Amino acid sequence: MSEFTYGGEYRDMPDPDTCTDKEWAAYVHYRNGAPGLKKEWWYHGPSGTWFIAERDTMTDKISRTYIAGQEEAK
Amino acid sequence: MTGRIAKKRGEWINRDKPLTFEYEGQVVNGYEGDTISSALWAAGIRVLGRSFKYHRARGLLSFANHDVNALMTDGEDTNIRADVWPVSQGMALSAVNTDGGVVKDRNKYIDKLSPFLPVGFYYKTFYKPKSLFPFWEDKIRKAAGLGKVNFNYPRILKPKRYAHCDVLIVGAGASGLSAAVAAAKQGLNVILVDENKQAGGSLTYDFAGDQTTADTLNNLLDEVTSNANIRLITGAYAGGYYTDHLVPIVGVDGITKVRAKTVIVASGVFEQPPVFRYNDLPGVMLGSATQRLINRYAVKPFQKGVVVTANDHGYRTALDMAAVGIEVVAVIDMRRDGAKRDLAEKVTEKGIAVHKGSCIYEVVPASNKMAVKEVVVCHYNEDTAEADPRSAVRLSCDGVAMSAGWAPAAALLYQAGTKMRFDYDVQQFVPDQLPEGVFAAGKVNGVFDLKARLLDGQRAAVEASNYLGNASELITVTNPEMASPSHPYPIVNHPKGKNFVDFDEDIQVKDFINAAKEGFDNIELMKRFTTVGMGPSQGKHSNMNAIRILARIRQLPVEKIGTTTARPFFHPTPIGHLGGRSFHPHRYTAMHQWHVDNGGVMMEAGVWMRPAYYVPAGSHLSASDAVQEEAMAVRQSVGMIDGSTLGKIEVFGQDAAAFLERFYTGKFAGQKVGGSRIAMLLDEAGVMVDDGVAVRMAEDKFYVSTNSSNAATVYREMQRNIQLWGMQVTLVNLTGAMAAMTVAGPASRSVVETLIDIDVSAQGLPDGAYKEGQVAGIDARVMRVSFVSDLAFEIHVPYKAGMHVWQALMAAGKQVGIRAFGTDAQRLLRLEMGHHLVSHDTDGLTNPFEAHSESLVAMDKDFFIGQRSLKIIEKKPLNKKLVTFVLDNGFTGELPKECNLVIENGDIKGRVTSISHSNYLNRIIGFAFVSPEQSKSGSRFQVRTDSGAMVPATVTQAPFFHLLESKGA
Amino acid sequence: MPLGLLKYALSKEHPAPRFFRDCTEPKKSYDAVIIGGGGHGLAAAYYLAKDFGITNVAVLEKGYIGGGNTGRNTTIVRSNYLTPEGVNFYDASVKMYEDLSQELDLNLFYSTRGHFTLAHTDSAMRTMRWRAEVNKHVGVESRVVGPDEISQACPQLDISCSGQAPIQGALYHAPGSVARHDAVAWGYAKEADRMGVEIFQSTEVTGIDVKSGKVVGVNTSKGYIETNRVLSAVAGFTPRITEMVDIETPIVIHPLQACVSEPMKPWLDTILVSGSLHVYVSQSSRGELVMGSSLDPYEMHSTRSSLDFVEGLTSHIVDMFPFLSNVKVVRQWAGMADLTPDFAPIMGKTPVEGFYLDAGWGTWGFKATPISGKTMAETMARDIAPDLIEPFRLTRFEDYELTGEKGAASVGH
Ligand SMILES: Cc1cc2nc3c(=O)[nH]c(=O)nc-3n(C[C@H](O)[C@H](O)[C@H](O)COP(=O)(O)OP(=O)(O)OC[C@H]3O[C@@H](n4cnc5c(N)ncnc54)[C@H](O)[C@@H]3O)c2cc1C
Repeated sequence: MSEFTYGGEYRDMPDPDTCTDKEWAAYVHYRNGAPGLKKEWWYHGPSGTWFIAERDTMTDKISRTYIAGQEEAK
Repeated sequence: MTGRIAKKRGEWINRDKPLTFEYEGQVVNGYEGDTISSALWAAGIRVLGRSFKYHRARGLLSFANHDVNALMTDGEDTNIRADVWPVSQGMALSAVNTDGGVVKDRNKYIDKLSPFLPVGFYYKTFYKPKSLFPFWEDKIRKAAGLGKVNFNYPRILKPKRYAHCDVLIVGAGASGLSAAVAAAKQGLNVILVDENKQAGGSLTYDFAGDQTTADTLNNLLDEVTSNANIRLITGAYAGGYYTDHLVPIVGVDGITKVRAKTVIVASGVFEQPPVFRYNDLPGVMLGSATQRLINRYAVKPFQKGVVVTANDHGYRTALDMAAVGIEVVAVIDMRRDGAKRDLAEKVTEKGIAVHKGSCIYEVVPASNKMAVKEVVVCHYNEDTAEADPRSAVRLSCDGVAMSAGWAPAAALLYQAGTKMRFDYDVQQFVPDQLPEGVFAAGKVNGVFDLKARLLDGQRAAVEASNYLGNASELITVTNPEMASPSHPYPIVNHPKGKNFVDFDEDIQVKDFINAAKEGFDNIELMKRFTTVGMGPSQGKHSNMNAIRILARIRQLPVEKIGTTTARPFFHPTPIGHLGGRSFHPHRYTAMHQWHVDNGGVMMEAGVWMRPAYYVPAGSHLSASDAVQEEAMAVRQSVGMIDGSTLGKIEVFGQDAAAFLERFYTGKFAGQKVGGSRIAMLLDEAGVMVDDGVAVRMAEDKFYVSTNSSNAATVYREMQRNIQLWGMQVTLVNLTGAMAAMTVAGPASRSVVETLIDIDVSAQGLPDGAYKEGQVAGIDARVMRVSFVSDLAFEIHVPYKAGMHVWQALMAAGKQVGIRAFGTDAQRLLRLEMGHHLVSHDTDGLTNPFEAHSESLVAMDKDFFIGQRSLKIIEKKPLNKKLVTFVLDNGFTGELPKECNLVIENGDIKGRVTSISHSNYLNRIIGFAFVSPEQSKSGSRFQVRTDSGAMVPATVTQAPFFHLLESKGA
Repeated sequence: MPLGLLKYALSKEHPAPRFFRDCTEPKKSYDAVIIGGGGHGLAAAYYLAKDFGITNVAVLEKGYIGGGNTGRNTTIVRSNYLTPEGVNFYDASVKMYEDLSQELDLNLFYSTRGHFTLAHTDSAMRTMRWRAEVNKHVGVESRVVGPDEISQACPQLDISCSGQAPIQGALYHAPGSVARHDAVAWGYAKEADRMGVEIFQSTEVTGIDVKSGKVVGVNTSKGYIETNRVLSAVAGFTPRITEMVDIETPIVIHPLQACVSEPMKPWLDTILVSGSLHVYVSQSSRGELVMGSSLDPYEMHSTRSSLDFVEGLTSHIVDMFPFLSNVKVVRQWAGMADLTPDFAPIMGKTPVEGFYLDAGWGTWGFKATPISGKTMAETMARDIAPDLIEPFRLTRFEDYELTGEKGAASVGH
């Protein structure tokens, strides 16, 4: 796995203009830490590519990978 | 060599190669191929070590790599396992963990104290009064441990090897060999591994007095060795199972990391000792150990032995013993009904008495307590596990072979995530649900009959093959009707104890009973309280009996007790094998050799090596003088630094400017082509993470630098955000491709001018401007910068030309006394200029408002990373502020150091982040965090030095050059 | 030999009572329910009973007590943190540990061996000084020492680290200690039980019943229990519990691994930590080297071991101690560390009334066991968090008031 770097959970950013301070603080600091299928950022070093992996954080099984924003076009 | 018997077919020793070695000062003969234990045993030596806790004399037990009481040192190495380590000519061995030799060991008195040292005793004493604990602890530490490590042992790192295969088969016994042949026939590529130096498993020793199994083995081996699809590795063990079928194969010469598509675990079983008083005396050993001694090493385990058994295997052992002329006094069978008829008959035909429904109540030691004199045999009630001492009969003998059952060598299966269940037919945990791509065969799978094992291997091979996409017909294996290979409770109580369950840790039956009484009555708690299975053999001969004992105490079925987790490693694995790779990659700039040749003192800077300062050959500069001289050269004339480690990223495309606006805090949309701006990066919480310079090379193209240590991360973050924001931007990371150098100081222009083909005059290249041209005939990117001095030129050229341009500039600067300067002088120079360094003067929580960087933050932009957080932070009062300060003129006291604290009324208000004497200014200047109230120019604050002295400092403006005009502050 | 051991030899029956009762059927209701029978949960139960006389308490443990991170940790106890609030908090814990064997009437093998945080770079040396200065300020014994002093305390250490990363100095912290992890859990369990606390093993909390923002009970594998005070002290399982009450936290779970060598005669008397080499090592009173490294690089709810971990760890161990090449690793294992972004715990009250949180213990929580138990007991008894743990409140993230421990990360046990 060492050619891949973990980039953290993929989180939808709230609209900075309309969200409350509290919502923004939650976006910045809080995480969905419970086990399960999660969208995550991963970076493939040799090809220099970021992608989203849907990974079960309990079993470590990856069920889907795609470039951010292109999941529909799969 | 009293114990050596006539040459046997298939023996593992080489009679043509006799050798001698020493054990505890005594000269011993052996043969090439002998293990230490086999040679010692053949020589009639019985005491091979002392036990860990009670220092009891111990001999040979498993003879299968878990004789943890027979550990040796050869003076070089320690904890050498005598049961498996080969002897060699001239070795000088002694047992570890003795005081005064293995026979005389002065610590043997501890055995007498054992009644005072019940299970967990150390939790209950030594702590009152508290002050005495260190005394007791010292005593305990002196007694602890096994061998003494040799501090001069060489550093040996064994490089790793890698292998791939379709099927990895662990264990080359009957089922493993048969699986290998079957898998290879399916066209699969097979690696077959076995920890013994020869393949065959129990086919190499469990003969029951006749050697027909040897024929089966030879046939299988022929098939295996002649098949090109099978790679057989012997003398190496599978260390553990890791995710995605990664199994390290550990041999004497290092580790092979095998990545397999499927794994068949055919690792067999460990024989388990029955438990009775003094079952640990030298001369009492497992049945399979006697068979291995006899059939592999041609050594007689004893002259006159008894067999105690609770399964049929004891009878097979008795037959193997009888076949080499050992007088077998009796087979003592703990089972009421004894063995199946044909076996029992074979044994009685040899004139061996069989005592059914009997047990060894205790072994009677010889007067020296180090050998067997006789055994006391009693009737045994299988239901109550009680012996009837009234029926005692004494049988004189010099050894006991014990067979009571087996425990699966299932460590790899557990690590792979196999669910096991307890099978009452075989009285053994067997795989219930195997994980994908993992299969089990043979005894570990609960299959004991030889024919069935061979078939079970084939079955597993077919299943593995089908898992890989073949569609062969499945095989079913039925276990023939047979007596259970393991006894449900081969334990004999004795009021005086010393009936050992765990030989590594000297744990007796009563220890379990007492642990349970104290509340440690689930298997995990019991393990931790008694330490059963925690020794170097990791419970290979003790966990199963512990489970059985606990089940009986709790009156629960065995499967309700469960098992403890079997973690890697299967056998203890050398640190030098595991660590067989180095983790210290370094990168070197194009000018590296120049630095080295010119006295550069190289330091690690992230992955790079950079000169901190230079001590040219022949000079005897101290570090600080070197730094001051280099800095002075820049102030008074000219200096040059290698800046190649800066991150260098090209950002282009129609959204390039818009992207930088979102990415960095400043504005870039209106930036002029040929101009540069500071690029400060925050994280989403508003914390400063990097700063660099963004040059606009064209409308749609920027050239951005980052701090050396952040080059890779900033580049990655850029890539991520381009994807996330869906912008039309392309990045090129030129960090490694470009060399960079900065020529700085009042004379820098005159030096650069001689080599450059563009106008670098004050008008031609004002501060902050950027141009492309040729330097020393090389295409270069040139920028006016002012980080270390008002006049400076940063020159970027392709990596390959770096050295050429550097040397050309050095030559051109010679007459004005150009000096190379290192990172230390750079730190001083930028400090004089009043520039902070991100993550040196800031920390993991510093925001731009605290670091006087408001001017770099365009809060009126639509969006940039961290902006929304800054809007929240903006509303809160600041806790601290970064200021530039100067110490009083003529200060001579103890110089504060970086990270000395700023103290006000006894409270911490901040800390010094940078401080240095400047020869040029003849003052001590620095950066510090102070409370916001103290941050105005002219404010005084106090720094506490290492020794506690308070040093006043004054907040002052930077650049500090005004200090040269004014007198003191 | 201490006289206390005499009774074991002289009496026929093993003269030791149960450490704790074998509780199986929970009552209908309790004054407080503690989820998690690790050191923290058991300590909280003990101090609830001892300091506040609240004894109608159930500790619910889904496995066996001490079987979580408590029983997997490498037991480094120290207080040489970076922020005054951190140093104060951990110092209080160290002081409690010093007398804990006597208080719990059980030898915890609390062994003060001295703790060296090795620095291989200039910037690491700066951080050491920073910590030393803050520690001294708060009255905790810490100082920056040079290579000579390190060599004196551990002559076997190769100061050049086989030429790979020469040691420039260290932060020396004399109070640095290790202890027997299991014993800490058992000791608290024993004394809590003696005062009436009921400890249920193999009992899992499956849900928390909240009515109008208040806790009213918990669902467990042994049925429903009424209570209006619940403490979650479940370390690596925290996100699963906070999900039950719909509370957001920054906690993510990463595995943290460790391993031990075979026993050898003790030679390493101190505790050594190297941030740059990502290793720490001490030698137990059994003679085993206890070794650990940094966190696994990505989120995982699992305690499986990896080969990468031992490979990386051992390659650095031989840099420090070249002569260990042929010493063997016996066993490796992993725990699940509950991490916060500022390397400090989350303690105290939550938006749900009656639901208290003791979490975010990551790689550093064993040392805090006594003080966290004591302060959480107080928080539950009074429904106000004491000042000592105020900086660790959950709301600090919303308030952008993270603790400064972020500065001293790396291998932070
Ligand atoms: C390898 C490793 C090394 C470490 N080294 C150190 C060190 O050197 N020094 C240090 O200070 N710290 C160290 N730590 C951290 C330390 O171990 C933990 O922070 C500390 O033990 C946490 O204790 P706890 O009681 O909160 O949690 P735990 O001991 O994990 O106890 C939590 C318990 O909650 C139970 N539980 C979970 N969910 C439920 C449920 N739904 N119902 C009922 N019960 C439940 C679990 O089974 C578990 O027993 C280390 C951790 C690891 C993994």
